[in-house]
Amino acid sequence: MITQEKSSPGTVLLILPVLVLLVLFFGSVIHLFSNGFYDDGEFSTRYFRQIVNRSDYHMVFLRTVVSSLVVAVLSVVLAYPIALLLWRADRWRNTLLIVVLVPWLVSLVVRTYGWIVLLGPRGVINEFLAWLGIIESPVKLMFNDLGIIIGLTHVLVPFAVISILASLLEIESNLEEASGILGASAFQTFRHIVWPLSLPGAFTALMVIYLACIGAIVTPILLGGMTHNFVGSQIYQEVMYTFNMSKAAAWSICLLGLSFVSLLLLKSIERRLLKGRN
Amino acid sequence: MVQRTSTMRLLGIALLLSLPAPIIIVAGASFNGGGYIQFPPDSYSLRWYVETFTDPRWPRAFAVSLGIAAATAVIISAVNFMAAYYVVRYAPRIASALELAIFSPLFFPHAAMGVAMVAMVGQFGLLGTAPGIILAHLVITLPFSYRPIHIAMRSIDPDLIRAANVMGASEWQALRDIVLPLCRSGILTSLLFAGIISFDEVTVTMFLIGPNITTLPVQIFSFVQDSASPVLAAISTISVLVTFVAVMLLDRFAGLTFFVRRDAA
Repeated sequence: MITQEKSSPGTVLLILPVLVLLVLFFGSVIHLFSNGFYDDGEFSTRYFRQIVNRSDYHMVFLRTVVSSLVVAVLSVVLAYPIALLLWRADRWRNTLLIVVLVPWLVSLVVRTYGWIVLLGPRGVINEFLAWLGIIESPVKLMFNDLGIIIGLTHVLVPFAVISILASLLEIESNLEEASGILGASAFQTFRHIVWPLSLPGAFTALMVIYLACIGAIVTPILLGGMTHNFVGSQIYQEVMYTFNMSKAAAWSICLLGLSFVSLLLLKSIERRLLKGRN
Repeated sequence: MVQRTSTMRLLGIALLLSLPAPIIIVAGASFNGGGYIQFPPDSYSLRWYVETFTDPRWPRAFAVSLGIAAATAVIISAVNFMAAYYVVRYAPRIASALELAIFSPLFFPHAAMGVAMVAMVGQFGLLGTAPGIILAHLVITLPFSYRPIHIAMRSIDPDLIRAANVMGASEWQALRDIVLPLCRSGILTSLLFAGIISFDEVTVTMFLIGPNITTLPVQIFSFVQDSASPVLAAISTISVLVTFVAVMLLDRFAGLTFFVRRDAA
């Protein structure tokens, strides 16, 4: 619909609401920065210095980054077979897509609750293992890093499926046919055609999932408990329990910086890998 | 080779079925007659659903969430419809700059977003109120709602509008009789997608609730932390049902292909 018209002055009003929302959003970011650098009414880098100096805080950041990387890689790996299944299933694709979309859109807190029911000391998995006689006392499956990683991965696999499937659906079917006609085996076709062309979707998924993980609060609190803090759970505690907005803002700024640097790194890795292929 | 393909396929089916598994187990456990979470249930009863509806806190949180989701979906779809119409018809040159701004909240980690939204909502004195939560939800759903509407708007044939204008239709008539109907599936996708996101949002919303207002997911979050009552399984099942119905409506009236296309808006 490119009929560019001379806009009468009134039409500018159409874009006003969206601009108001954007101004509010960017205003809140500026507000966040001023909060982080002000403490008791004066300029201060106190909370940043605290983050740099305290080793228990280093641990929180390290746990967040490492767990998020593990979850991102794991989600993409587990999503591949599902995405391939949906891609091949022409007639059933829509039905199977619903099986992926519903868990993706159901509230995070409900899905995490599902994992508490499964992983808890009296949960479904422990009861089942005890019933089989494999274990005598419950195994600790949550309130540790393992629980957080299981929960976050399960929460984010559907997004990876959608992202990889989107890439696969872009592959022109005659490309595959040509490869077959030229004598390539199914595996060769997969290796040289399907796999490389699915990589952009896989990388998008990797980045988005990593970002979602380092900012997570609900799943780390519910499955990790208060002893296995994520950056997000620390921020939540500062706001809700100690009411220290300056500290929460300083942590949020560090989280933003972390996501920005990680994104640049992941982008450069992606570029190098994809270039090496060509 | 055939074997390798079918192994991969079986693996795919197993993994696919694992996605809804925890939700299905919760739904199963919600029908348990006993006083604790049990799957498979040893007896069947609806007592936990009865209990959910007799405790006034759950119906209230449910109504609040539904109201906030409806308000968010309608407002953000209208805002984005106007913006997309303006950009496509009058100012294609600013399209990419506007998109960059609209998609920027996506790169914000949720925890940082929560703190930023406290600052934004607090500025207007709206912390712990429904308008405050709606305001934050508008920012959160902005990119998700803009994309389907913009895609639909962009794919309208410009000649249709020109023809309407030549035949003497006013700007308003062309908008009402041509643009709006042709954007129907984009608008429906935006309404339902934004509605689902708002209804299920918890990470940012839990910073904004107050003594007088809380949403369903946030209330589930605070109950899960210190209770193991099967009421949680019942209310979770109800919340899943709402999302499921919304996805089915989306499938029926707009189709799901929107979710698996790669072209940026």
